[in-house]
Amino acid sequence: MSEAISKEAFQALIDRAGLTLTPPQFDELRIAYGYLQAMRERVRKPRGYDAEPAHIFKPAER
Amino acid sequence: MAEPLPFMTITALSKAIASKALSPVELTQTLLDRVDQYDGVTNAFIEVTAELALKAARKAESEVMNGLSRGPLHGIPVGLKDIIDLAGYRTTAHSHQLIDNWVKEDAVVTAKLKEAGAIILGKLSTHEFAMGGPSFDLPFPPARNPWNREHFSGGSSSGSGAAVAAGFMPAALGTDTGGSIRLPAAFCGIVGLKPTYGLVSRRGVLPLSQSLDHIGPMTWTVEDNALLLDVLAGHDPLDPASADRPYVSASAGIHGGVKGLRVAYLPSLGAEAGASDEVMKGVAHVAETLKSLGAIVEEVTLPPLMDFASCGNMILSSEAFAIHEPNIRQRPEKYGEILRDRLFLAGFVHASDYVHAMKMRGELVATVAKVMRTYDVIICASAATPAPKIKEMPKFGLYTKPPLTFPFNVTGMPSLSMCCGYSASGLPLAVQIAGHAFEEATVYRVAQAYEATTTWRSRRPDLDAGLKALAA
Repeated sequence: MSEAISKEAFQALIDRAGLTLTPPQFDELRIAYGYLQAMRERVRKPRGYDAEPAHIFKPAER
Repeated sequence: MAEPLPFMTITALSKAIASKALSPVELTQTLLDRVDQYDGVTNAFIEVTAELALKAARKAESEVMNGLSRGPLHGIPVGLKDIIDLAGYRTTAHSHQLIDNWVKEDAVVTAKLKEAGAIILGKLSTHEFAMGGPSFDLPFPPARNPWNREHFSGGSSSGSGAAVAAGFMPAALGTDTGGSIRLPAAFCGIVGLKPTYGLVSRRGVLPLSQSLDHIGPMTWTVEDNALLLDVLAGHDPLDPASADRPYVSASAGIHGGVKGLRVAYLPSLGAEAGASDEVMKGVAHVAETLKSLGAIVEEVTLPPLMDFASCGNMILSSEAFAIHEPNIRQRPEKYGEILRDRLFLAGFVHASDYVHAMKMRGELVATVAKVMRTYDVIICASAATPAPKIKEMPKFGLYTKPPLTFPFNVTGMPSLSMCCGYSASGLPLAVQIAGHAFEEATVYRVAQAYEATTTWRSRRPDLDAGLKALAA
């Protein structure tokens, strides 16, 4: 698992997400954030400019 | 009718109803009585729709007596996971947030079931919004495993799995975003199919993660499952993800056997997840059985489970947080602890994580397609172990112990879970059979061929033992 995020950096993430956490929630979620960070690292690989996301979008036709 | 009514298959019940040997009213009343007697063991129901069910049963009886047939589901009781709309009833999502969410219209799948003559027996337990559970701080208790009520019934279609295994109904609908049909099917020893993405309309079903959500059937046997899919499948122009293509009946060729079919065997998925010896042996036995029936079975590997889980979880978290953002910010106390904390964590995923995950999804789809180019189906474990104890489920298990079902939500391929034996402790073991997109018929053919060689369908949970455990 990745190194634990600092309390200050974690509080910034909470503020950015617009959430309100109690102190016990803060401590528990700060640990759990390491799980998310590990998954994030797996997903973020170097990709070329032409790498397309797997979205589907169809323009409306007349 | 050799079997007691609660244990008869849809195939057998349908014949008895069509021949007028069995009244849908008698069947419905028998099942309602059974639910009344035993649902304290399983907590499968959020609401029993007895009045609606008996009214529909009387209508079905009248139609049959007048020579009208609506097909194999005519007069068959079915349950709905409580994120699927049923007109005139609440869709609560097992949550305080939606405790008064009365709905006026049926979901597309509900309407299709009614049109086919099925009888809606009730709304069934789920994880909160199909994401948070098993939880003990919600307006309804979590579903329990009918094989042993101290164990988890799987989630999030927890009540659907428990109800079918308990013989409360021959079929139920579930939804599956990371494994929520196949895990309850695995832990409860029934058959659950997550269809191809886009095959079954999602309209009228509360979303968890729109690009990963699927609705599908849960039944005791493979053939019954295919009969339900034949009713549920089809294009819905008002669901933007719905596939506009002709539907090939899943049940028509189900007894075609597996001779010459090419089966990819994936033991590494279970091994990677630390699957128990019982699970590994159970799945290996399925591979051997299919080989003995004439299939060509070869071992393959796929990218690591954690790749699929990371990709799927980033997508699921982002889409779920977007849905719940106003409530999780303004009234988080209305959620149970598990969903609340999972949504909090989901709120830390960045937009660029989501886009990376979507790019990775395309890569994983292409990689699996390349492996599958020379195979008809792939088989692997459905879960690493039999059902764990309900009070030992980790809050962040999607991150630490990702489900073996997740790869096929990411790829959108059809995937079925079915019983492949029992553990020494008497809990079901399960195998997963996945196929090419829109080739559910082949998945069912393989599943049916395997099921026909086993005696697993002759065993049912002992609900009287469950009642004794409840009283103790």
